[in-house]
Amino acid sequence: MTYDWNFLLPLIFAGLMGVAILVYVILDGFDLGIGILFAVAEDDEKDRMIAAIGPFWDANETWLVLAAGLLLAAFPLAHGVILTALYLPVFALLFGLILRGIAFDFRAKVPLRHKRRWNTLFFIGSLIASLAQGYMLGVYVLGLETGAGAIGFGLLVALCLAASYAAMGAAWLIYKTEGELQLKAVRFLRQALIFTVVGMVAVSLATPFASARIYEKWFSWPQIALLAPLPILTGIVFLLLWRLSFRMPAPGDQHALTPFLALAAIFAFGFAGLAYSFYPYVVPDRLTIWEAAAAPGSLAIILAGTAITLPIMIGASFYVYRVFGGKATDLSYD
Amino acid sequence: MDALMLSRLQFAANISFHILFPTITITLGWVLLYFKLRYNATGDGAWMRAYFFWVKVFALSFALGVVTGVTMTFQFGTNWPGFMEHVGNIAGPLLAYEILTAFFLEAVFLGIMLFGFRRVSNFVHTLATVLVAAGTTLSAFWILALNSWMQTPAGFEMIDGVAHPTDWWDVILNPSFPYRLVHMLLASGLTVSFLIAGMSALRFLAGDRSESMWKALRTGVFLGATLIPIQIFVGDMHGLNTLEHQPQKIAAMEANWETRGNVPLVLFAWPDEEARENRYEIAVPGGASLILRHHVDGVVPGLNDFEGNHPPVAPVFFSFRVMVGVGVLMLLLSWTAAFFLWRRDTLPRAVALAYAPMAFSGWVATLAGWYTTEIGRQPWLVTGVLRTADAVGPVPAAHVGFTLTVYVLLYIVLMVVYLGVLTYLAVKAARDGDKTPLPGVEDHALSQPMQAEG
Ligand code: HDD
Ligand code: HEM
Ligand code: HEM
Repeated sequence: MTYDWNFLLPLIFAGLMGVAILVYVILDGFDLGIGILFAVAEDDEKDRMIAAIGPFWDANETWLVLAAGLLLAAFPLAHGVILTALYLPVFALLFGLILRGIAFDFRAKVPLRHKRRWNTLFFIGSLIASLAQGYMLGVYVLGLETGAGAIGFGLLVALCLAASYAAMGAAWLIYKTEGELQLKAVRFLRQALIFTVVGMVAVSLATPFASARIYEKWFSWPQIALLAPLPILTGIVFLLLWRLSFRMPAPGDQHALTPFLALAAIFAFGFAGLAYSFYPYVVPDRLTIWEAAAAPGSLAIILAGTAITLPIMIGASFYVYRVFGGKATDLSYD
Repeated sequence: MDALMLSRLQFAANISFHILFPTITITLGWVLLYFKLRYNATGDGAWMRAYFFWVKVFALSFALGVVTGVTMTFQFGTNWPGFMEHVGNIAGPLLAYEILTAFFLEAVFLGIMLFGFRRVSNFVHTLATVLVAAGTTLSAFWILALNSWMQTPAGFEMIDGVAHPTDWWDVILNPSFPYRLVHMLLASGLTVSFLIAGMSALRFLAGDRSESMWKALRTGVFLGATLIPIQIFVGDMHGLNTLEHQPQKIAAMEANWETRGNVPLVLFAWPDEEARENRYEIAVPGGASLILRHHVDGVVPGLNDFEGNHPPVAPVFFSFRVMVGVGVLMLLLSWTAAFFLWRRDTLPRAVALAYAPMAFSGWVATLAGWYTTEIGRQPWLVTGVLRTADAVGPVPAAHVGFTLTVYVLLYIVLMVVYLGVLTYLAVKAARDGDKTPLPGVEDHALSQPMQAEG
């Protein structure tokens, strides 16, 4: 194999797509999670929870559009295979995203007596979208299987991913709120963490057994030494986070952002593990990234645009997060 | 119905619902900027009141545009995998550029535009408004480049059934793109100006005589009156371009069966594809030849030259007439209203009564125009390159039927709620008039919003 552009371009795009998915999961994870936490929040807390995500959710969701867009633009063949195989769960995802996206906006503009209804829809939409993502992850890990076993496994991952989003949401609330709501968020965080562990263990156990190729990659020497740091690091961060949660909120609101960053790291480790297992396939055991890639000329054009715009957009996002930094205050258009 | 027909219906339902909201946000972003700049220049609080009212409409429309747009991106893969398989090398980069340049720009700065008024300086807030408006316009640029390429493909070669770009300038600046882009941007401008004028007319009828209502009303009426003649002119040029590149579409739009000179302009008819003739025809002799060839003897292509390869005639024929009909109505009404506002400084009740239901006339014309364009391209998905039937995916019809049903039900509910909330906001604003203090003025001077508190 030579290291020419035909080899490198698909690889670069696989990397970019991976980053886009990871950033999406972390960023939209916290705002979907806050939607899920609506189930257990009081009415007067909901406004503040919304204020904690208001200026960000649209930009967060754009990472999903970017991830789907890169799949579509860089790997047109895989795009069709994956999305037709996941037709119904994708629909559930879109349905959920539509519900919550508009509920978010309408709840603030409808007559006051209707607000509760839109809060409920915000919760339902967030939950459906999270479950759908988890289900798709589960089915994908099993190589897009359709049997009853795959469905069952998909449902398990669905529940666990929704819970880990709730954990992200809680961690974000710890950062963005104070007082009673912050205390509550700490409790939510602990409960949701338990499910997150179950989910990650389940996916980790299932991945090698779904495919002989991946099994080989995991448990043969010397690969196992390469992979081993991931679960170990994940475990350590989990334990530290668990211990920290008993000391939250700390005096002077120290470490308020730490739980969120720790969870982001855990997501990143898990994601790296998946990427390692599936490489070089985009469609597990069927299409490699080179087989599915678009023509090199087209990829080069996209890469040029990406290299210019993506850094600018990331910089701009940091700026926006800074402008709306600090504890959440009431949202209004003035 | 088979999966192909259901997928087509689903795509049509989704894109039709989606396009309604970008049509509003593309121009409304610029109008908001105008309100803001007028306020910056005059210090007149009524401009800011108009801003705060319309920014709510903008936020609602934007949210609907985003969530339905995300659905669109996935549609290609879920329903039309053949599309990306065959023309992915061209469609992919265009869509990627839309996401990279347009969507991120809008999404990132929307937060500042909507909620940042007191957190950033006035300059940064104005800049964010500019960037959001530019983002919406850019996204129209890229997606219309793709759509126009599908209509009149250029700058590529086919290798083993897959399109490979040879010249990106030709791909983007394909023959129909300049016309379609200008026509669509004007359509957005008209949709927004009639929305603003129509809803202000509603407030006027509800007894509102506030300064902010007048300012919005005048903006809407004068903008509409300016844009509509340009739109009619551009529409004519667009038609001439279509005549050159997609003659079978023009034949369907005019319901002209035989290629000949002296073709009448059909005002009304029932095109009968079985008998291949028009029933109940009312026509102006020589009209179509005159419009399309600028000469009564001009030869206009007929459908019989394209038998088996032309679009369904009736839907193309009727939707084209709906669009042009609305255009003519817009011209009459906006010029009448502009006359009264200019000369009499007020609006007769009858004119206001006519304007209020025209609030959504832009939507009707836009949808009708798109139906003309898209149905007129059938049976091709990409003219001469890829047939619609060859792009559909392997998903069972039952699944597509299910999702289509849920989408349609959801869209109906959303439409009712959206219109309900808009009406509620207008009535509330009419009731409050100029009485309520401007939000924000109580503690800070509006022109000097607070700097971010760290
Ligand atoms: C407010 C909206 C609006 C109004 C008042 C008009 N149009 Fe239009 N028209 C559109 C909105 C639109 C559109 C939605 O923007 C379309 C669909 C696709 C496109 O390129 O533009 C369109 C398409 C479209 C096409 C089809 C182009 C093709 O073949 O693809 C033609 C020939 C015209 N228009 C011509 C006209 C004429 C002669 C008008 C004079 C009254 C007119 N339009 C008014
Ligand atoms: C095939 C068609 C289309 C696809 C796949 C598509 C895709 C999308 C997506 C994914 C979004 C949301 C992006 C975000 O997160 O901000 C969006 C929004 C938008 N689209 Fe489309 N779109 C299509 C057709 C069109 C057309 C024809 C136009 C206009 C001419 C258009 C104009 C816009 C604009 C201006 C926005 C942003 C403003 C808003 O969200 O209200 N789109 N589109
Ligand atoms: C770049 C943007 C667009 C792309 C890539 C696109 C692509 C497509 C595709 C893939 C289909 C389904 C296959 C078929 O033709 O039946 C379609 C049909 C259709 N599209 Fe578009 N479209 C775009 C913009 C729009 C917009 C903005 C509208 C507006 C309202 C629209 C209206 C329709 C309708 C009504 C059909 C059904 C036509 C038929 O099936 O007879 N399209 N288009």
